[in-house]
Amino acid sequence: MNNLSHDLKGTHDYFALEGTIDANSEGLLKEIPGKVRTSQVRFDFGKAGRINSMGIALLLRCFKEIREKAEIRLEGLSQMHSMLFKMTGVFLLATPAEQHADRKEGSA
Amino acid sequence: MQNVAVLYLDEDDRKVWEGTLAGVPGLVSITVGSDPTVSLQSLRSMRSTLRVVALSAQLYPGKYSELVPMLREACPGAELLLVSRDGSAPPLKPLFADRIRHLTISPAVEEPHSESLPAVIAMLVERRPWEIASCLREGTPVHSYRLDSSEDKELLIGQLERVLSGEGEEMELLRQKGSLLADELLENAMYNAPRGSRGDRLFSKGQRRAMLPQEQITFSFGFDGNTLALKLTDNWGSLEPDQVLEYLTRNEEPSSMNDDAGGRGLFIIWRFLDQFHVDVEPGQRTTVGGQLQLCSKLEPDSPRGFHITKHMEEKAA
Repeated sequence: MNNLSHDLKGTHDYFALEGTIDANSEGLLKEIPGKVRTSQVRFDFGKAGRINSMGIALLLRCFKEIREKAEIRLEGLSQMHSMLFKMTGVFLLATPAEQHADRKEGSA
Repeated sequence: MQNVAVLYLDEDDRKVWEGTLAGVPGLVSITVGSDPTVSLQSLRSMRSTLRVVALSAQLYPGKYSELVPMLREACPGAELLLVSRDGSAPPLKPLFADRIRHLTISPAVEEPHSESLPAVIAMLVERRPWEIASCLREGTPVHSYRLDSSEDKELLIGQLERVLSGEGEEMELLRQKGSLLADELLENAMYNAPRGSRGDRLFSKGQRRAMLPQEQITFSFGFDGNTLALKLTDNWGSLEPDQVLEYLTRNEEPSSMNDDAGGRGLFIIWRFLDQFHVDVEPGQRTTVGGQLQLCSKLEPDSPRGFHITKHMEEKAA
């Protein structure tokens, strides 16, 4: 993952993920649960690219930790992200807020 | 010579498949009905020549869940192939328990580019490994690259994306699927395949690494405008066929959101391909690959067919 940004937007924490999510994203994803301050967390995947199995494992770990204190909503998902999250159980921890069927991975 | 037997539940079941299987040489059709012992007796009389026994999913695991051990006893030299229609694909648990390594899921309506069941049966009869060119239009170039280091991964994914250039939503989705498949195949070969003498992993995911002097990892792919076929071969031969089935079964459970679930990469490869092939020669070579269609009609979250072959068993048989 190339970049991770965090904002406190009113009643929720907002995280935007950018770039490929894989084994190299471990450091950035590990930081996220410690930054959560509210009971609702929104993750924006609009600029996220390819997510491989290691990226999925790291997201599951991160989401499980957050779920102990907050709800998780996912935004900006591509069709590919949605397929992947559905088949790997990510949607059991986090709810998709919307879906862009024709969005290119990693594009705004 | 009768070298292929197909077992159906009943006459209706047989009619569903007879068109698809027309033209398979040496084929014997057996309708099991209410008593499998008679059918098993017929198979025993052909056991010396039988190479493949195909089972309709209506019969197994649907009706006779205990059939496989009896079949293995009746014709121990035959490969077992489960044939199913899309929408009625069997759960993996019984297949894993019975070590069924070949499953085809045919579309409800035959499509020109879907996997040909007679071709699959011929491959199993001849004990041939799957070849990337077998599912591509004749004359389609197959691109092959040998890896030197982990830094090559993104370069190869870029090469694949260039071959999949084109506009439109379907093409964009195919490009994304192809990139993910290439990523998983390459990661699997670079980090899961290399094992020490005690079976321990030699490298960690994400670690930068050069290939070892004797190590050969070759990534191949081809696209004929409709079918994308990919293949990754390593010379470790460390993947166990039963382990592959275990990985697929374990990850199939939607509640298995275990972040440490092993084999998630292979599971993702299986689910994003239309047909998944694993060919292992223990200690020598592992090939993982398969094909997918630009306009795949298979539901993204439905199971796919697979062929998992271990070659040493055949040599020993």
